[in-house]
Amino acid sequence: MAIRVLVRLVSLLTMAFLVLPLVVIIGASLTTSKFLAFPPEGLTLRWYEVVISDPTYVASFVTSTLLAAAATLVALLLALPAAIAIARFDFPGKATFSGILLSPLVLPHLVLGAALLQFGAPLGLTRNFTALLVGHVVIITPFILRTVLPLLTQDQRSLEEASRDLGAGPFETFFLVTLPQIRSGVVSGAIFAFITSFINVELSIFNTTGELNTIPVQLFNYVQYSIDPSIAAVSAATILAAVAAIIVIDLTIGLDFLSDND
Amino acid sequence: MSTSRIAVLGLVALPAAFFAAFFLVPLATVLIASIMKDGSLTAANYTRILFDTYHWEVLATTFRLGLLTTVICILLGYPLAWYLVRMVRWKAWRRICVILLILPLFTSNIVRSFGWMVLLGRNGLVNESMEGLGLIERPIRFLGTETGILIGLVYILLPFVVLTIGNALARVDRSVEHASADLGASPASTFWHVTFPLSIPGVVSGAIMVFALAVSAYVTPALLSGGRVTVLAMLIFQQYSSVFDFNYGGALAITLLAFTLAMIAAASLVSRLGAR
Repeated sequence: MAIRVLVRLVSLLTMAFLVLPLVVIIGASLTTSKFLAFPPEGLTLRWYEVVISDPTYVASFVTSTLLAAAATLVALLLALPAAIAIARFDFPGKATFSGILLSPLVLPHLVLGAALLQFGAPLGLTRNFTALLVGHVVIITPFILRTVLPLLTQDQRSLEEASRDLGAGPFETFFLVTLPQIRSGVVSGAIFAFITSFINVELSIFNTTGELNTIPVQLFNYVQYSIDPSIAAVSAATILAAVAAIIVIDLTIGLDFLSDND
Repeated sequence: MSTSRIAVLGLVALPAAFFAAFFLVPLATVLIASIMKDGSLTAANYTRILFDTYHWEVLATTFRLGLLTTVICILLGYPLAWYLVRMVRWKAWRRICVILLILPLFTSNIVRSFGWMVLLGRNGLVNESMEGLGLIERPIRFLGTETGILIGLVYILLPFVVLTIGNALARVDRSVEHASADLGASPASTFWHVTFPLSIPGVVSGAIMVFALAVSAYVTPALLSGGRVTVLAMLIFQQYSSVFDFNYGGALAITLLAFTLAMIAAASLVSRLGAR
């Protein structure tokens, strides 16, 4: 019994430890003081106004959103055909192919960023949107592949064959028969991919400039030199966006995977 | 046969070409640069890492932080995973906990480290409440120390451990535990002889993942070190962004990469052995 109490205590403290910094940021973003304070001194949304009226923040936010959306779209165009090929066909080099596509999940992003900078320099593929895009596509494609692959099961094959026998072409079969069955994986994979791109620093930092900047890299640069509540406001906005994304995922696929089936 | 070959080619061509061009070739560029100096083949970049005591120190700091992060993550993560899988009876609360656990994974490392910069400062909440409780007389210096970086890394990587261990625990067959209890084993002895061994693959794969991510972390150490502590990833970034020595930077990057890949290989080996 004493052990149960201890486990409960440690768990609740650990949960508090996980939530505390996020609460602090949201709290600090509401302060009326000119410096960062937690607990906040008074409550105001002034710092959010400061952020919205700052053109560099707005530009970074637009860049981040466009980048994440474009990267997710390209990643879907790469990951879905790759997933179909891996799940439905046998071909030489299949293990290598899927291994390479999944490996960015575990490679240090900093190393990949450095590699893309070095590779892109002689080609003029640095410090522009395309340079950011290709890097982001590489790191997020495996997220979609990983969530979609387990949903492409063997028993769907007979349905696909039936569809073909009834005269549907491969594209029709994919969009009308296969896609509806893997939709939850595609949606959650795409959300994960979008977020991963949106919060990336290690890869983007090599290819951003004063004019072309993403939100997290801009925050990274600001935080190292000056700290004021407007940084907390930007951070708090990204936390609230993350909460919204998680609720969407919870509603589409459900997050109750830690439940015990006893 | 030929139609399926055309189908495979049609499906695979684009992703394969993209990853060859923007993943394999760039990594190969780094590898080649790491064994070149002034236009000729050399191992000098690697021997420079080996013989420079400053770099030994950086590697030791990186390794020490990785190891401590892993140990603390397991010590905190196992009870929390157990609590979520086995002790929470109210489904809505577990759901909230899982959402709170995943939330940090959906927020930037910057934002999360920034939270700790606020908390751990001289006049931050941590120092003020410890002073208020009379635990300390003067503020403790966290920022710019290994302790500060350690707190940040544990915070960022803990959710991974809880999720992997939680998944392993949720998959343990409860009938084995009932059998152990029926045969007269105490709850503690059932835990140590039945449940814990069954959860070891989850613990090990979580630990190795955390270790690999901790030794390659850049943002958290960069923000919480205040430039006073240097880890391997910061050294690599310096070489690429301010020193512009792509050869030496390449050697450092390949060292980190090799280290990480060895960890991943060990992890997959363990999980394969565990699955048997």
